[in-house]
Amino acid sequence: MKRRLISWLKSFFFWELFQGLRVTGRYFFARKFTIRFPEERTPKSPRYRGLHALRRYPNGEERCIACKLCEAVCPALAITIDSEEREDGTRRTTRYDIDLFKCVYCGFCEEACPVDAVVLTRFHDFHFEERGQQVIRKLDLLKLGDRFEEEIATDRQTESKYR
Amino acid sequence: MSFVQVIFYLFAVMMLVAALRVITVRNPVHAALFLVLTFICTSVLWLMLEAEFLAIVLVLVYVGAVMVLFLFVVMLLNINIESLREGFVQYVPVGILIALALFVQMIIIVGPNHFGLQDSVLTIGPNYFAQKNFAYPAPAAAEYSNTEMLGRAIFTDYLYPFEIAAVILLVAIIAAISLALRKRTDTKRQNPAQQIQVRKQDRLRIVKMEAEE
Amino acid sequence: MIDQAMQSVLGWWQLLPGGWRLLLWNTGKILLVMIPLMLAVAYYTLAERKVIGFMQVRLGPNRVGYHGLLQPFADAIKLMFKEVILPTNADRFLFLSAPVLVLGPSLAAWVVIPFDEGLSIANIDAGLLYILAVSSVTVYGVILAGWASNSKYAFLGAMRSAAQMVAYEIAMGFALVGVLMISGSLNLGHIVHSQNGGILHWHLLPLLPLFFVYMISGIAETNRAPFDVVEGESEIVAGFHVEYSGITFAMFFLAEYANMILISALIAIMFLGGWLSPLQGIVPDSVFAIPVIGLLLGHGIHWLIFKTAFFMFNYLWFRATFPRYRYDQIMRLGWKVFLPITIVWLVIEGLAAYFKLPPWFN
Repeated sequence: MKRRLISWLKSFFFWELFQGLRVTGRYFFARKFTIRFPEERTPKSPRYRGLHALRRYPNGEERCIACKLCEAVCPALAITIDSEEREDGTRRTTRYDIDLFKCVYCGFCEEACPVDAVVLTRFHDFHFEERGQQVIRKLDLLKLGDRFEEEIATDRQTESKYR
Repeated sequence: MSFVQVIFYLFAVMMLVAALRVITVRNPVHAALFLVLTFICTSVLWLMLEAEFLAIVLVLVYVGAVMVLFLFVVMLLNINIESLREGFVQYVPVGILIALALFVQMIIIVGPNHFGLQDSVLTIGPNYFAQKNFAYPAPAAAEYSNTEMLGRAIFTDYLYPFEIAAVILLVAIIAAISLALRKRTDTKRQNPAQQIQVRKQDRLRIVKMEAEE
Repeated sequence: MIDQAMQSVLGWWQLLPGGWRLLLWNTGKILLVMIPLMLAVAYYTLAERKVIGFMQVRLGPNRVGYHGLLQPFADAIKLMFKEVILPTNADRFLFLSAPVLVLGPSLAAWVVIPFDEGLSIANIDAGLLYILAVSSVTVYGVILAGWASNSKYAFLGAMRSAAQMVAYEIAMGFALVGVLMISGSLNLGHIVHSQNGGILHWHLLPLLPLFFVYMISGIAETNRAPFDVVEGESEIVAGFHVEYSGITFAMFFLAEYANMILISALIAIMFLGGWLSPLQGIVPDSVFAIPVIGLLLGHGIHWLIFKTAFFMFNYLWFRATFPRYRYDQIMRLGWKVFLPITIVWLVIEGLAAYFKLPPWFN
């Protein structure tokens, strides 16, 4: 009976509503967690799987030997490779395309690569402006590799003992 | 023609056209909306007669509540207006007769003689529509409150008719509710007020047991 | 120079026929209310996003202008240049006139709002009734928008809103009867005057239940959270205005926010003494005679704005706090809780008036 009365009074004086308002009122003055994205960025793991890149050896030679393991392992069939023999007798790719609309960023290509040629960088905020640009070609991938080489190398270094 | 007259004729014509469209338009929703327009024009005319209380209440009650429910019903029921139109010619004479009767009644009850403009109803004749018969009544004084006068009239001279009308409406409401009211016993429902009052002690019993080997 | 300009302007003014002068004068007054109101509506939308953002521990819009201060204009320009799409088989005339029918009444109601001593566009004796009547017309825009769009979601939203608005109009009307009984007038200016004499004389205390009923009904009447089943986005997409885009949608948006400001201003006027200063009777009268401080602490439009802003903030606060009501619960609350409360309180008020309970009924 007493309980009934108390709960009736509570609902009559909006007790629980005021409790709710107090919670939101408190958070109104709380510190905000928003990260102002282009100026501020959240820290990223060295294992982050962003945009792809093709690496080179320190002497400038491209690593990829056109073994097509990445093409084979790719679950989304995003990678297309053509290869032929170069003048010096080595097998190299003539075409290395990654369709970024198909890619699921699983990182299997990187795992499969015997020479650590194709890697996934931390770079994730990229965009396309025209149709067809979502397929990135070999030269662009190499350029990306040159651009992020330092970061890629240190990331692979820190992760080496877990691989 | 003065500004006031322009407004009067504008809204009077609009009202008549809208009233005509109510019965001629094919779409029942449009018909209901034309009725709303008729009410609003009427309310403007009443405003010009310095009956602002009645004008506002007309909008409030008829436009704001009654016609909303009308529209509701018309929109939900999907009435076929063509079937309602059948036999229109057949009923026209009766309709005209009723309209005439209403018209005569209104002239007798709210004719100009009730506003001190004509001596009696019996003067209907060639001079009935003469200027002096329909002259403007004297405008009310500045502090005249239509609302207050109406309240005084309703609660003194017309108290009984007012109260009886109120009781009749109440009876109608109760009748409608009792017709629609039915208690279903075969449904299961929750009572949130009861649910949130439940405490741990009411539902949960903690039993102490020997641990089994 | 200025003298001459004034002379010529005044001369022109005198030359105009009386009717024209009246028309121009009234148009000027209306613009004087409408322009600040529209600005307030624009910034209210920003305030809503900011306040709710802050309560959800994020920042809200902060890209357009300093801290997002130009966001309303960006939104307005975007909406103005978007295409107005007519759904197939929509009732073209009604579809396009529905936004006007929603926005019109919510602006028209501002005519009778007294901002300060004798400062209103029109001083109507039946002001309170006028507001009730005008706000009851808003339902039409909503119903017609839903019906004319030829869409099931819109129609469902319109049906919900019509039932909800009619139901809560009654509770609101009864709450206003209480205000009418205590102040003895339908004129909003007189209602404020009857609360003169300090914070205790405000209608807030004697009409406390009616105040809460009015405030909550006001939220339901404007179809705001937690009573926003009309446009409950998780159930019926956006309710009655799903099919609207561009400027027609913007008009529904404007109307909703103008209505919220209107209800806030009405609460301030009817229960919290409008432009009256809350310090009256607490601070000695000599303080009000001090040049600047007296003006700030004494009666004035700034108190009305302050009180209105408080209730406007409440709208946002409630939206950030409470989950949406279920439809049958809304109906139950309106008919079975608010209506009895108001009627009981009217009887109590009648008794208080009969025994001339000071300080309100003497």
